[in-house]
Amino acid sequence: MFTILVLILAAAGVAIGYGLYARTIDKNIIQPDPKKATPAKMYMDGVDFTPASKNVLFGYQFKSIAALGPITGPIIAVQWGWLPAIVWIILGTFFIGWVQDYGSMMMGVRRDGDTMGALSYKLISPRARNILMLFLYFYLLLIMGAFGIAVGKTLMTNTKVPFGMISVVLMGILAGQMTYKWKRDIILTTIVTVVLTFVGIWLSTQPFMANIFSALYGFHKVEDKVVSPTWFLGNTQAQVIGTLLVVIFCYLGSVLPIWSFAQPVNYVSFWIVSFGVLGGILGMLIWRPGIGDFPAFTTFTTASGPLWPMLFVTIACGAVSGWHSLVSTSGTARQLEKETDALPVGGGAMFLEMVFATVAFMTATVAWGSFKGYQDAGGAAAALAVFSKGLANFLSHIGVPQDFGTAYGSVFLTIMALTIMQLAVRFMRVASAELLGDAVPAMKNVHVGTIVALLLTLLFVWVIPWLTIWAAFGAANQLMAGLALMLVSLWLMSEGRKNAWTLYPSIFMIVTTIAALLFLAYTNFKKLATPNITTQAFLASLLVGIIALVLVVAAAVLIADGWKALRKPRAKEAVEKV
Amino acid sequence: MSEEEKQESVLKRLGRSAKEFLYGMAGHDMTRFALKTRGSMEHLFILITMGDLLGIPILPPYYSLRLLPYVVPQISTWKRRMLRERDLTDALA
Repeated sequence: MFTILVLILAAAGVAIGYGLYARTIDKNIIQPDPKKATPAKMYMDGVDFTPASKNVLFGYQFKSIAALGPITGPIIAVQWGWLPAIVWIILGTFFIGWVQDYGSMMMGVRRDGDTMGALSYKLISPRARNILMLFLYFYLLLIMGAFGIAVGKTLMTNTKVPFGMISVVLMGILAGQMTYKWKRDIILTTIVTVVLTFVGIWLSTQPFMANIFSALYGFHKVEDKVVSPTWFLGNTQAQVIGTLLVVIFCYLGSVLPIWSFAQPVNYVSFWIVSFGVLGGILGMLIWRPGIGDFPAFTTFTTASGPLWPMLFVTIACGAVSGWHSLVSTSGTARQLEKETDALPVGGGAMFLEMVFATVAFMTATVAWGSFKGYQDAGGAAAALAVFSKGLANFLSHIGVPQDFGTAYGSVFLTIMALTIMQLAVRFMRVASAELLGDAVPAMKNVHVGTIVALLLTLLFVWVIPWLTIWAAFGAANQLMAGLALMLVSLWLMSEGRKNAWTLYPSIFMIVTTIAALLFLAYTNFKKLATPNITTQAFLASLLVGIIALVLVVAAAVLIADGWKALRKPRAKEAVEKV
Repeated sequence: MSEEEKQESVLKRLGRSAKEFLYGMAGHDMTRFALKTRGSMEHLFILITMGDLLGIPILPPYYSLRLLPYVVPQISTWKRRMLRERDLTDALA
């Protein structure tokens, strides 16, 4: 009953949020004109600016925004109880999430397809673009760290997962060869590679394969417990090898031609993930489990910190995420065929992601039926293990064996994270070449830029604890959303349109995320004074504290410049009136 | 239009939308990367034939004259790509 109730709530959120609120804003404030030429038509260059149908773009936008965020966030957030998590997912999307995605997309469309960098330069100040770039580099580093820990130190240490992940990579390479070199039909390529990937995932669950990785990871029994020896900074042999496998994957994704590795691996991954989502939803609908004794509210302060501001940065992508504004402006806004397509594409994809986050929320709650079940599965500290086991519980109701389901869920999460990680490394490599290339010519080298980015990633992964880095990543992500909303508010004001619907969410997001970053900086700097602190804890606290402060300072400069820009059009208006 | 035809067109429309949505999720990225690769190749192609396009100061060699008809249709989109200001956020999508 609870499952159905939550799904009805989510459906009501979509119906009222999209059908009423979003449409009203679209019709009365933005007033899109289907006859007006979009940048995709005006500046068509056959590459970046190319018109595409709204259905294609809806799929493209959804795939680009839905990664590990909408899955992990809700699972960590239910430590405050199920009620705050589901309320923030639905209301966050309703009042802020779609507003940011749609607003930044329309801003891109009406401002000649400019990206966030160009928009901040023009709408805020010239230095705003440089600060945004610095901000983005740290933001991507935090993505790499958070996803790297999730995959390398959690999922890959399960001996039934690595071969499944290797199968996806090998089949991706095969898909690239079949498509581009051997010119095979895409349907044949898809069937062959996806079926072989499933065979690989099945093989990874077999004892002989698990034993190979068990030996590689040095697992042995100590008082009835299977453990891997600790190597350095508190990391076990399994965690170090697991993260190195992830780093090798990201290195190949960054330096190899995109058609031969990154792109076909993403293509094969898409099918693996889609079947998992569909199977999970089907299993959940057949099972329709109740919530059991899972509490609606547990306590105000948990291991992640106080409910405000930490809950609002813990659930990022399922409610609102700054990443979406980057995709909306750099990618989708330049492909819209008509202005009227922006709402179904930008707003629609965000509401669909809300539904996706709701399904992830179910894997942490109803899939276990009790708070103890959730905690026994790993709780917030092992959110991804909770998801893979929860998904396996759902899949078992459509006849998928539990063991295979857990391995499948883990591979599913691994490839979702790796898809974003290889893109992030590529971007970091380009960013370091651009920012430091003149001073340090070596940074222009593809391999050097990639290795520097990956070494920084390893430092984050091996040193910083999971819940801390997830909170820092969430705060940076949400701050990006607040800044994107500030840009949209400035743009609306410059056009003489109402902007309360973007300005108030922007203020809420900026205040909340700066509070979260200050909380992180304070708690981490405080830890430095702890007597007998370990080297790992010292380094972790120092890194997180410094990054939190750098992000706060960068945001403060952007806000100060934004505030000046906000006042400028008003002053101009006053002069014109005189 | 009969009721049956109307229903069929709705079903067809739904089918087409679903197909496009699936393509958007699975294959649109690949198409965009292919277009980007083609765009880079075109840049090189036009660079090779640029002197001959202008016609001075040397007489266009025979092979360039043969290539020119293929270059000319690309000039307008090439100009747009070359003249557009770019920054790092362009690399994100």
